[in-house]
Amino acid sequence: MKVKLLLRNPQDYLRETADDIHKLARNPAPELHPMSAETEYVRALNAAKLERVFAKPFLGCFGDQGDQLSRVCMHPRALSLCLSGCVDGRVAFWNIPRRSRVLQLDAHSGCVQGLCWHPEQDLFYSCCDTDRTLKAWRVGDDLTEFSRPVSQRHLDFAPLNLDHHVSKDLFALSGDAVYLYDSRRSDPVGQWKWGSDSVLQARFNPTEWHLLAAVTKDNALLLIDTRQREPLRRIRCEFRQNALCWNPQEPFVLATASDDYNLYSWDARRLASPACVYRGHTNAAMDVDFAPTGRELVSASYDCTVRLWESGRSQSRDVYHTKRMYRVFAARYSLDARFIVTASADFNLRLWKARASEKLGALTPRERAAVNTAEALKQKYAHHPQVRRIVQHRHLPKRLYQAQLEMKAIRGKQRRKEVNRREHRGEDKEPFVPERDRHVRGVDE
Amino acid sequence: FQTTMDVAAEDSDQMPSGFHAKAAAKAARLRREAAKLASASALESPGGIESRPGEWAPTQSKLLRRVAVAARPGHFELSLQYGPYSVAYDTTGRLLALCGRGGHVAAFEWRQKRLMFESQVNEPCHALTWVGAGSTPQLAVAHSNWTYIYDAQGLELHCLKRLHKANKLFWLPRHWLLAACTDTGHLHWQDVSTGQTVASYCGHHGPLRVSALHPDSGCVLTGQPNGQLCIWTPLEKRPVVKMLCCPAGVRAVATAPAGHAVYTLGGDSRLRVWDIRCLRPLSVSDSGADAASIRLFDAAPQLAVSQRGLLACPVRQGAALMVLPAGGAKPLLSHPSPGRLSDLAFCPWEDVLAFGHARGLGSVLVPGSGEPNPDGAVHPLSGKRQRREAEVRGLLDKLPPETIAPPAVGGGVNAVDAEGIEEALARKRAAVMALPSDEVRQFQPRRRSGKASGELNRKVGERWQRRRMELRQLLKSKKRVLAEMGDEGADAAGGRKTKKAKKVSQSGELTKPATGTFLDRLIPKAD
Repeated sequence: MKVKLLLRNPQDYLRETADDIHKLARNPAPELHPMSAETEYVRALNAAKLERVFAKPFLGCFGDQGDQLSRVCMHPRALSLCLSGCVDGRVAFWNIPRRSRVLQLDAHSGCVQGLCWHPEQDLFYSCCDTDRTLKAWRVGDDLTEFSRPVSQRHLDFAPLNLDHHVSKDLFALSGDAVYLYDSRRSDPVGQWKWGSDSVLQARFNPTEWHLLAAVTKDNALLLIDTRQREPLRRIRCEFRQNALCWNPQEPFVLATASDDYNLYSWDARRLASPACVYRGHTNAAMDVDFAPTGRELVSASYDCTVRLWESGRSQSRDVYHTKRMYRVFAARYSLDARFIVTASADFNLRLWKARASEKLGALTPRERAAVNTAEALKQKYAHHPQVRRIVQHRHLPKRLYQAQLEMKAIRGKQRRKEVNRREHRGEDKEPFVPERDRHVRGVDE
Repeated sequence: FQTTMDVAAEDSDQMPSGFHAKAAAKAARLRREAAKLASASALESPGGIESRPGEWAPTQSKLLRRVAVAARPGHFELSLQYGPYSVAYDTTGRLLALCGRGGHVAAFEWRQKRLMFESQVNEPCHALTWVGAGSTPQLAVAHSNWTYIYDAQGLELHCLKRLHKANKLFWLPRHWLLAACTDTGHLHWQDVSTGQTVASYCGHHGPLRVSALHPDSGCVLTGQPNGQLCIWTPLEKRPVVKMLCCPAGVRAVATAPAGHAVYTLGGDSRLRVWDIRCLRPLSVSDSGADAASIRLFDAAPQLAVSQRGLLACPVRQGAALMVLPAGGAKPLLSHPSPGRLSDLAFCPWEDVLAFGHARGLGSVLVPGSGEPNPDGAVHPLSGKRQRREAEVRGLLDKLPPETIAPPAVGGGVNAVDAEGIEEALARKRAAVMALPSDEVRQFQPRRRSGKASGELNRKVGERWQRRRMELRQLLKSKKRVLAEMGDEGADAAGGRKTKKAKKVSQSGELTKPATGTFLDRLIPKAD
């Protein structure tokens, strides 16, 4: 008779020295792991709850600027620097991590309408519509060379915005038309216009160097090729587009912030309708910016909130608000896509985290693994009602919540009316129009 | 783990369709691969006895001569005087507790024979179980009236008055629940971590004297005198499943520590093995022995099943215990008991069986009963720090009581809510296709009164009559299209009129009328 008895050697289960980690027995057999799906679900639920517990996106105020801020411009190469323009003509230079003002200069006599950096040189441009000037300022190492502009150019139109080309020495000014200026020439190199209304903003495509997009006051979006004399396309929208931004990673995608409370992302190859409609704001969207990854958007709105979106998803991922933050007019992503700087009508610049529950600072390998696991769990169980409810829910102050309910009621009423009409009048008289097709009046070539 | 008999679901005649057969085959293949992986990385191999044909089942002295000296702590006898004893191991297999009808309660580490505590509570104690995690072990003992919880030093921590006249206590480690069946027919589920009573109700099925816990799902199984096996969950006040498993009353119920096998001993003294997932008998094993051929004549035997499927049962009116191999009828070993056997418990992770009897308790070696390779920190050799961390993790991963459901009923966290999906799709279809509702079709226009109302009423009536005919046609054509689509092609959220749809509808070769919507692309083209 052969007998084998299960006997364990304790040495196999104990660590050899005190410097070793403890040994962990592992057996992947499913019989030893019953209810593993339920356990995973509970972990996903806990991960969602903990994410909300640690969601503290507001990092701080930059300090009172004294007057309403009109523009924010991030440095193209340095992570910690940004510029802000004020309605009283002051331009301030900020250190983002310290949230302190490095320098301030009285750039213009009126509202600073445009601010942009030169992509390579330590130079930035500002323009003003009241004094109709475009000024170039040099930044030195000791940050004292600000007192006088390097160059100054008088324009015969009132500029409303300014953008610099990603590599060439060109910049685009928008005023009554889109003007393309070369820094070495005094006269504009190109001029484009469609209709009689002024152009609010023109931006260069970061990849396609000859392409410009512009938004005009008569609710239109223009697509301009600098090699041609006339604009390529004009998309007539229902409402005014307040701002636009090209996707830094996808050359043909741009996003606009509209007065009808929505953001739209457009595919330049097919402009008949927007690629995505981002719905969530309860008042006009004033500014939009893509993250450097091209996968996320941030929008600043007249309803005193900042919303973050994932590219292609029409429901916002997050909403930021504070008691003291009033109408938000500008929002920008930092270069590492981790922070957001917002400028609002309460005279303040604010710094926020792009991921509200992200831990700033070095993560140990265990922490990183735990964060990644939590993220994967939340994605796996994202469709479960309890997990979805926790992940999606955001607390809003009463007036914002009421505004949201109002928007919901308005939309619900519109939809119900459409359904009833379709039922009674028939589908040929009341066809089903998807959301995307409802916002464009026409495309002109 | 070795299941007693392989799952009935792998039988091809039990499969409802080819799809299910393929899925079952894939699942079986994955299980085999996982087992291979597990065995490749396994540290230990299971124990066992290889006997020549015709050889008798070994006695303990024979086993002791053939195994290492380190195995000797597993074999001991304690002569105690305080009545029939119940025994319980904790989940790590390190601690053994006993309670006697004479009021003797004790707990000790059986390997080192280190006594944790011993006390005389002056009340009959009927059942016990370890609660909590291994780092702070607590013992729940069912006294004659109430249930008490003692800590590792024997101090009385809690007196659970709600668990009145409990005759069986169960510990659900993943839910941190203490479940109890009582002589009054009540079932209780107490959360030990928060102290909340999750459920406490009367089952209205008479005193629940025969009960077992199904550890994989957390349900309590009770055997009824009418031969039914009832499955109870905390959220339902009546048995979720009632299964007739014996022609006479059920005398004993036992479950394996993992898996889906349920053993019932009926009034006809036959042992039956059931698959709790499909509520059918488990198929006969390779050995050819039929478990039902086992006859156990004890009045109210306590059965115990080990991690590897070995079944221990009392024989000869409790004068001896017998261990049967998984799926077999020929005993692996037997051992005489000094007193009448009252309780049996296999030690988890070890090849040891403890038995309580009228004159004390004992422990015997049973080669091949313990699972050799544990996972995590729940094993006898885990350190204090690991057990503590496992306790914290266990508390964080505590499952809600809603997850306690018998596998036969289905559901579960990953189950597809087919009804909900169907309803949502139907709603979308109705909104997009604008199926005219009954209200619209049965609408009667308001009859006007007054001058020239006759003409107006006639016109309105005619117009609505025409519209009703149109709606009827529309409904017919749409229903026809929907019927053809069946459950597929229900992507009705779009509603765009694609160019393809227009082409198909404009061609004159259709056998079915086009509805003018995107659904036309689903209409089969006429050949």
